[in-house]
Amino acid sequence: MSPRYLLRRVAQVVPAVGGIVLLAFIVIHTAPGDPVLALAGEHGDAAYYAFMRQKFGLDRSLPEQLLAYASRLLHGDLGVSYVHGRPVVDVVSERLPATLLLTTTALALSSAGGLALGVLAARRADRTADFVVRTGALLGYATPSFWLAQIAAITLALGTGLFPVQGFTDARRQLAGGRYVLDVLHHLVLPALVLAAGELALTTRLTRAGVLEGLATDYARTARAKGLPDRAVVRHALRNAMLPLVTVIGGRVGMIVTGAVLVETVFAWPGLGQLMLSSIQTRDVPVLLGMFLLVSVAVIIVNLLTDLAYAWLDPRVRYE
Amino acid sequence: MIPGQRRSIFHWLAFLAVATLAAPASGHAQTNRSPGGTLVVAISADPGHLNPAITTSGATHTAAELIYNGLLGRDERGDPVPDLAESWVIEQSGAVYRFRLRDGVTWHDGTRFTAADVKFSFDEVLLKFHARTKASMSGALAGIEAPDDRTVIFRFKQPYAPLLQQLDATEAPIVAKHLYQGSDPQTNPANASPVGTGPFKFVAYKKGAEIRLARNAAYSKRGLPYLDEIVMRVIPDPGTQVLALESGEVDFLWGVPGPHQSRLQADARFRMGQTSYHPGGSNCIMTVSFNLDRPTLKDVRVRRAIALALDRDAFLRQVLFNEGKVATAPISSEILWAHARGLTLPSFDRAEAERLLEASGWKKERDATRVARGVAGVPDGTRFTLDFLHFPAFAKYGELMRQQLGAVGIDVTQRPLEPAVFAPTVFKDRAFDTNVISYCNGPDPEIGVRRMYHSSQIGPAPFTNAAGYRNERVDALFDRAGRTVERERRSELYRQIQEILVQELPYVWLVETPTTRAWSARCSGFKAWTGLFAEEASCKR
Repeated sequence: MSPRYLLRRVAQVVPAVGGIVLLAFIVIHTAPGDPVLALAGEHGDAAYYAFMRQKFGLDRSLPEQLLAYASRLLHGDLGVSYVHGRPVVDVVSERLPATLLLTTTALALSSAGGLALGVLAARRADRTADFVVRTGALLGYATPSFWLAQIAAITLALGTGLFPVQGFTDARRQLAGGRYVLDVLHHLVLPALVLAAGELALTTRLTRAGVLEGLATDYARTARAKGLPDRAVVRHALRNAMLPLVTVIGGRVGMIVTGAVLVETVFAWPGLGQLMLSSIQTRDVPVLLGMFLLVSVAVIIVNLLTDLAYAWLDPRVRYE
Repeated sequence: MIPGQRRSIFHWLAFLAVATLAAPASGHAQTNRSPGGTLVVAISADPGHLNPAITTSGATHTAAELIYNGLLGRDERGDPVPDLAESWVIEQSGAVYRFRLRDGVTWHDGTRFTAADVKFSFDEVLLKFHARTKASMSGALAGIEAPDDRTVIFRFKQPYAPLLQQLDATEAPIVAKHLYQGSDPQTNPANASPVGTGPFKFVAYKKGAEIRLARNAAYSKRGLPYLDEIVMRVIPDPGTQVLALESGEVDFLWGVPGPHQSRLQADARFRMGQTSYHPGGSNCIMTVSFNLDRPTLKDVRVRRAIALALDRDAFLRQVLFNEGKVATAPISSEILWAHARGLTLPSFDRAEAERLLEASGWKKERDATRVARGVAGVPDGTRFTLDFLHFPAFAKYGELMRQQLGAVGIDVTQRPLEPAVFAPTVFKDRAFDTNVISYCNGPDPEIGVRRMYHSSQIGPAPFTNAAGYRNERVDALFDRAGRTVERERRSELYRQIQEILVQELPYVWLVETPTTRAWSARCSGFKAWTGLFAEEASCKR
């Protein structure tokens, strides 16, 4: 891959992000709803509303507000949250680690698990194991994550007592060091499994289909004829199946953040998903815009990495 | 109890459930509770900041009020009791209130609390940023004086009745002048690491996760609090909150969804109690508003017919799972002295509703929906259709409305709108026929009732006079009641108002909606009627 290509791709990020921010700004500001009302509750008077609008600059025209926002953005300032009264950068970055931990764990679980199950199903095609995996994948794909989360909390947490129902850590204990890490991991299990479930199903199905297709090709037949063990043949087929799989996994990053909104809410996981939901309810526009910016940049970067992964997986792919 | 004030049998029955929250006793520093222990409280939303003086947000108030005090507190009947002020005198028929502050109170950082903190809190914070206090008090107030460290004087332009109900930690928490002076109170760093005078000190705030508070050993009320530590755990989903209580991860819930109540009730590990107090709004009544600008709804016979067609017991059973009671007057029965007893609100009578609709020109012809024949301002042949605006959470009210009014030939269309959209649609644009609103009366009718009926309160400010009701006599009675400090005279004025309202029916008052608190049986001593709910609580370890 030439550095020029990389530079060009990175340069494309700027207008893409600009467009997303512009669109998000217009959509949020033209959508019905009043952030000042959400702040004031039901007892404010006209003077209070006017005062707060003026304080937040909401009394200015939309183009003026957009210009002011863009100017601040160019200086690296995402503004101040209406609800939290603190810089958006702080508000968002405080929640980022929890969401990163949850989503990367879910993505890793769904990718690794999906690959393993997909290969298993392909190798045992049309036998019991394949049937079980395919049925499970279909169920996992069709089950809404918020429902699965509730069921997991009732059965696996409350029912067995093996896992906590909610939270990032145990509220009654303030742990440090390794015990803290173990406590967080203990709390991570259920939300990560639930968030991974839908993605796991998709990855499983794609892997199975790709490997089966690979196993039916001429090169696989030749390899078998040469006496190569089955495991090695599957490895070859899997590598070719990876190309579409990587595309899908890369493209699902945005979806997994969306899923995190529901999962974080049910399990009281203190991440961006929960913040996004409450910011929508309170019309905390600066925070919402900050999160859109963050997620859109993340999706663009992941897509770039996906493109780069093509070249690694398939030597025929060259970027000039 | 405040000497000289009567308590009726009715009052005791009404508050029986709430009183159990305080068991075994509500008097502080007189019980044998053992100190120590941790209380984990589930809260529904991350508060964002912990300064209840700059917001009316229920999220901030539930999480932070235990850090602060008001000048006064509230007893279980909602009556004022000493808090930062140990006594008070009302002068000039209620135009002047003089408070004597408690001696020896310190802020959590060790600084001495003085009258200057009170004056600063009102002048620079509450009267600018606390929407309720600003809306109700700022126009009436002439000024606040702090002539010495322990005296605060409120002077009003004319007698002002509700002040004593507006000074608790919910309505007017006092913040530290030395931390907020010269800053923007909304962005002051102390909002995230607060310093108060309250029973619990701030320890840590993990954003989106929890707020940790520790016992204030130097608290001005001797012997209190009992608990060593309180953890406010953010759990947005009400179902998860219940599961967390059942699994022992939390000890106290601010509310229990109706479908879960019977399960918890039957479980000896938990205790439950109802209260109409909530930091986000107390003494709430689910109320149907009629848009009186609409020709369809101008005729009081039509409004009465609608009220008669609504089976309010069904709302109580099917929507609230019997958590609450059918409203019996326009003012909440929890404001004992202002609530008018013995009024006759239209009770469910479908036949009478149909008769009134026929008499007012809405005829049943070929279709199930009635049509206008000679209704003033409505073209003949117009079908009787109404839209019904509601928050998404109140969809069940809409379903019952549609079902019950459909039975008398009125076609109802539900329009669910989230709160941020609902308010401008109803109060600014007035683009509705009917709606349902949880109108919270607050601790005093001057705060939460007047806004619904006074003609000066018609739009655009949200949650004011949705009906667009105008009645000069009612206006005058509210004005007089607001200036009358003597409670029996006020009570009579509010009774007259309610009698008129029940005749004119600008609204239908459906059900009073208390909330059900639930807590672990190993904890006790909660004061559900105040934001300082855990000031006297204790938990066995």
